[in-house]
Amino acid sequence: MQKLELKGVNKHFGDLLVLTNINLTIEEGEFAAIVGPSGCGKSTILRMLAGLEEASEGQVLANGQPITKPDPRRTLIFQEHALYPWRTVEQNVGFGMELAKEPKDERKKRIDEILEKVGLDGFQKYYPHQLSGGMRQRASIARALVLNPEVLLLDEPYGALDAITRLAMQNELIRLWRGTGKTVLLITHDIDEAVYLADSIYVMSPRPGHFIQTLHADMARPRNRNGQKFVELRQKIMDNLDIGSYSI
Amino acid sequence: MSTQDTQSLTEDISGTSSEASPGKRGKPSLWNKSWPYLAAVGSLLVVWEIGALIENKPFILPDVVQTVPRFFQSFSDAEFMNGVWRSMYRLAVGYPVACLLGALLGLLAGVSRTFAVYLRSLISILQSIPPITWVPFLLLLLGFGDTVIIAVITIASFFPMALSVMNGTEGVNKTHLELARVFGANRMQLLTKVFGPESLPAFITGAQVSFGNAWRSLIASEMVGGASIGLGKYLSYHGEIADMKGVMISIIVIGGIAALLDHVVLERIKRKLLHYRYVSGSGGKK
Ligand SMILES: Nc1ncnc2c1ncn2[C@@H]1O[C@H](COP(=O)(O)OP(=O)(O)O)[C@@H](O)[C@H]1O
Ligand SMILES: [Mg+2]
Repeated sequence: MQKLELKGVNKHFGDLLVLTNINLTIEEGEFAAIVGPSGCGKSTILRMLAGLEEASEGQVLANGQPITKPDPRRTLIFQEHALYPWRTVEQNVGFGMELAKEPKDERKKRIDEILEKVGLDGFQKYYPHQLSGGMRQRASIARALVLNPEVLLLDEPYGALDAITRLAMQNELIRLWRGTGKTVLLITHDIDEAVYLADSIYVMSPRPGHFIQTLHADMARPRNRNGQKFVELRQKIMDNLDIGSYSI
Repeated sequence: MSTQDTQSLTEDISGTSSEASPGKRGKPSLWNKSWPYLAAVGSLLVVWEIGALIENKPFILPDVVQTVPRFFQSFSDAEFMNGVWRSMYRLAVGYPVACLLGALLGLLAGVSRTFAVYLRSLISILQSIPPITWVPFLLLLLGFGDTVIIAVITIASFFPMALSVMNGTEGVNKTHLELARVFGANRMQLLTKVFGPESLPAFITGAQVSFGNAWRSLIASEMVGGASIGLGKYLSYHGEIADMKGVMISIIVIGGIAALLDHVVLERIKRKLLHYRYVSGSGGKK
């Protein structure tokens, strides 16, 4: 399993400074979340951890080793589901194993297992356009989980879903993650989602993004969204994001 | 799994009413699919028949009924059939060459910005020159024979393919590529598993547009003297000797072959290759 670290990371795209002095440590098996306004560089952090983007300054490490390129042991689940429209659900889910040239029957077995787990059993032969938004995101999560990665990087995975589906998916994510020891980093702009799911929550400022505050949600799961601790934590985050109260 | 099971399962799982709409049950019958084509053909025949009745000079415009027997005789007419086969042969060489050339140029343009600009200017020049204007020039250059016509077909039909492929490679979804990289794809796998399937629709569109260009320029260049045998030559020769039935059946066969190849052969290939696009609703095969 992997411990993820960013040390003194700056990132600019040309003249645009996106991230400044980012320090982050996510322990093995920890569930961390980053909340912050749109455009503050959340996806950029995730993409650096996925090996798709390099830091301009500072270090991006997994178990103390610099991350220089993508690695299937650290999978990224994209904002949009990004399923391949020309592949069926099972072909999409088996994509990683196909790239690794795993034997066909082994692939089939693991695909069926994971589809069962995410509740997509029976949809093996469907194409993405035949599925609802929630089902597509489930397939996309199955595609990552089937490789049994050590790290899951989720970029606003439920941002495009309706509120009810989103809550259901959050519960499923916890169920799938618990007891696996996987390190998870979830990006979200949904404060409740972060408080409901994560062990530690990083609150980000608008661009150039940096962490304003780190919070620990020491609450047993399943969490009560209206519990006192939950409400307090939510308020703290909103205060930090300057949306806690308003004046007319 | 029956339709209803699928439908209710869909809703159970997503917890909301699914976006996937129930597709139409069963395949549309052959009649449903083909009546618009038949209507198009029928209306052309009706216009022709009315024209012939008004004109009332069979040696200038024979009517449908008079032409039908000649149509069937033509299948055993060596001059006509040799022409048809010769034209088909030229198409069978020129069209694939054009598609291949177009695809290669389009892919190159997808890789190199500079080459893309070069190719676009080249195409805009070639596009403005009617393909048959190359015939006299090519006759001098290559001599009388199939090569001239094959060359015209290639010039006339490589560029829709090139343009389409160029646009297709530009349009490859960045997230799709990154996703493959995250999952450990090497360069070759990026090419075969993402670039390939993602730009396949562009290849097919290009091939379809190219086909129209190829066929029209083939017939036209045969007509203007690029060949001694061929469907176009048969048409122009029989026009000169005032055999109007011969002219009419040539036109019918020219249109018929094109329609058959385009709407039946190419369309089938397209539906086969882009199978995923034609699966509708949540009613895909279980
Ligand atoms: N490849 C890139 N080139 C230039 N600018 C980029 C690139 N990727 C992201 N940006 C910019 O960086 C900023 C942060 O982007 P992102 O990390 O996607 O934000 P978030 O995910 O928090 O909404 C945005 O202003 C965006 O326009
Ligand atoms: Mg983002």
